[in-house]
Amino acid sequence: MFEEASEVFDNMFKSSFPLTLTFIVFLPAVLILVSPLPADAAHEFTVYRMQQYDLQGQNYGSRNAILNTEARTMEAEVLSRRCVMMRLADFSYEKYQKALRQSAGAVVIILPKNMSTMPQDIVQQFMELEPELLATETIVPVYFALEDDELLSIYSQTQASSSSQGSSSAAEVLLHSATANGFQMVTSGAQSKAVSDWAITSLEGRLGGVGGEDLPTIVVVAHYDSFGVAPWLSYGADSNGSGVAMLLELARLFSRLYSHKRTHAGYNLLFFLSGGGKFNYQGTKRWLEDNLDHTESSLLQDNVAFVLCLDTLGNGDNLYLHVSKPPKEGSPQHTLLKELQTVAADQYPEVKFSMVHKKINLADDTLAWEHERFGIRRLPAFTLSHLESHRSATRNSIMDMRSVSSSLDGAGEATAGPHVDLKKLSRNTKLIAEALARVIYNLTEKGTNGDLEIFTEQMQVQEEQLASLVDWLTTQPRAAQLVDKDSAVVSTLEYYLGRYLKDVKRHFVRADKRDPEFVFYDQLKQTMNAYRVKPAIFDLLLALCIAAYLGLVYLAVQNFGFLYGILRRVTAPRVKQH
Amino acid sequence: MTLFHFGNCFALAYFPYFITYKCSGLSEYNAFWRCVQAGATYLFVQLCKMMFLATFFPTWEGGAGVYDFVGEFMKATVDMADLLGLHLVMSRNAGKGEYKIMVAAMGWATAELVMSRCIPLWVGARGIEFDWKYIQMSFDSNISLVHYIAMAAVVWMFTRYDLPKSFRLPVTVLLGLCVYKAFLMELFVHVFLLGSWTALLVKAVLTGAISLCSLFLFITLVHSN
Repeated sequence: MFEEASEVFDNMFKSSFPLTLTFIVFLPAVLILVSPLPADAAHEFTVYRMQQYDLQGQNYGSRNAILNTEARTMEAEVLSRRCVMMRLADFSYEKYQKALRQSAGAVVIILPKNMSTMPQDIVQQFMELEPELLATETIVPVYFALEDDELLSIYSQTQASSSSQGSSSAAEVLLHSATANGFQMVTSGAQSKAVSDWAITSLEGRLGGVGGEDLPTIVVVAHYDSFGVAPWLSYGADSNGSGVAMLLELARLFSRLYSHKRTHAGYNLLFFLSGGGKFNYQGTKRWLEDNLDHTESSLLQDNVAFVLCLDTLGNGDNLYLHVSKPPKEGSPQHTLLKELQTVAADQYPEVKFSMVHKKINLADDTLAWEHERFGIRRLPAFTLSHLESHRSATRNSIMDMRSVSSSLDGAGEATAGPHVDLKKLSRNTKLIAEALARVIYNLTEKGTNGDLEIFTEQMQVQEEQLASLVDWLTTQPRAAQLVDKDSAVVSTLEYYLGRYLKDVKRHFVRADKRDPEFVFYDQLKQTMNAYRVKPAIFDLLLALCIAAYLGLVYLAVQNFGFLYGILRRVTAPRVKQH
Repeated sequence: MTLFHFGNCFALAYFPYFITYKCSGLSEYNAFWRCVQAGATYLFVQLCKMMFLATFFPTWEGGAGVYDFVGEFMKATVDMADLLGLHLVMSRNAGKGEYKIMVAAMGWATAELVMSRCIPLWVGARGIEFDWKYIQMSFDSNISLVHYIAMAAVVWMFTRYDLPKSFRLPVTVLLGLCVYKAFLMELFVHVFLLGSWTALLVKAVLTGAISLCSLFLFITLVHSN
């Protein structure tokens, strides 16, 4: 047979060489050239990578982005170098740790499309896990995906094939390999690398007071960035969308007061939207350095009455004033504390207002509240929040998103996870605005009652305004890694501040080149392909089957004469009849 | 999947052709170049068909999922050109009937295999994604080999001057079946909503039936005189 083949080839070469060349050289070359990597995957979906950042020299989060492994679920015996898929409903820290201990190649956590359908306890549990997932660095890539029908079917098929392993006979495994599908998970992006020269933007604006030189200044601060286990999923509605919305509303209200001669007060108001708040208040830190160390004259250097930080105020009936040092009697701080108490007691009896005292712990890696940044620079500062502790999971969770259902049906419906309750947000805004106004206009000393409302009728807090602000803030993830100086978030905030305030300025923080305080990494959002694959044993099995089939074909062709003979015998008698 | 999988599909698609070529005795006649010529004719005929289709059959822009019976039937009619092409190939080769038939069919089918299945196999079967359709495609190429042999035989019988009157009708019917087989298959798939494996099976059975009939006629014709 082979001799004949070589004879054929000999003939080919002899008779027409160029044509043969075309066949032998050109055709394979064309075939190789025109075969790009096949792109039609069984399913293509967007995945969001876990946080990856360095803060003060410490590494956090997942250090890897490349994934090209076969999928398994937790039921599988062997997880090493496999991509472990978990659903949020079955997720637990033990399982996650087990997967990592078995040196899994990657972890993909499937989150439900609508988080509010999840039971409260699962959401709560996951929120508490988020800091733990980030606390140490993870070598393998960890991705989050949003559930859809295709992904669920991939998950269930993977689960079926994972759970059937190990406990069956060899024949069953063979049969199984032919019928079941495996999935190869492949991400399209490159390896994650540090983003160099990333600028965190902060915004400042002011309202100048009247009546002489050296007026006291009140600073209102809120950080606008959000934080969660995956940057692309952190919408930060309550923390700190609510604080930003409140700050903007306060800016609007006081700009109206300051635009009339009769209500123009003798206090400077300085509004500051800080960036990088979740990364140890980097924006605030730089702002203070710029203002206190590098400038000749600044509002912050002179007579600062107090700094009021707004953090997570969109829910709850508690209101805590976090201080690092209890304010002294007679200081402006103390006045505000008293006014807050008065307003809360007289106008909003349902609000439980209290003060929380916590000393600044310089030994900690990160500061607890934003006011501590000011406290370190000896500025009188405090933070208002509805959270009692800075460790509350709400402040750093991807579950902190705007849930639509609560705003439609109002109170009474139990919504899973943190969210912004607009009624409470506007009530808190009103309360703080009233208290601030009472300080600015010195109303208590003038003998006004505690139940006098200033912000009513035309001046009232606009709930729709707050609603649209919170809605806009939660339409896009505002993680510090995603908001650069050209992003829509910053420019819109700047525009908004510019409508009401004067001297709106940007401040940038760039990490030091040699000894960076913070480093962000890219590749946080990727496209993942799930390719349907079969195990290698299936290929062997298929090769055997094909060999058998070809053998049959060979036999059939060889013995064609037999069939020919039969048919001839069938037809022969008829011929004789003619 | 892998290169191995491509190898599997390739073997499944090509080896029957090789086996047929070797075992039918074509290699002993040194018919390789005649087969290549038949393949070249195939290319020429396909080109003409395409030109014809592109010129006279505008793209039908009907709603999705609607089957254009008349249009498809007309397009299938253009496949008559295949018959002409096969006839052309056979008329240029001198020799015994079987030899002419086999050369024409082998060349024709191999050219089709190379032209329409090689690249999809190379691109598809080598990819990461596994799909049964490449195995099915390879089986399909085996079926089409049988189909073209039967078709060439029917064309050969049709063009014989000494074809008995009684044979005229069945041979014409078979010719029609050969030409409209693809159209019939599409119709089946569309009407009965066949799965890909069932469709393949139906195709195999249909082709087997046509070939058996043509073989029967061929034997009767060859040995009747």
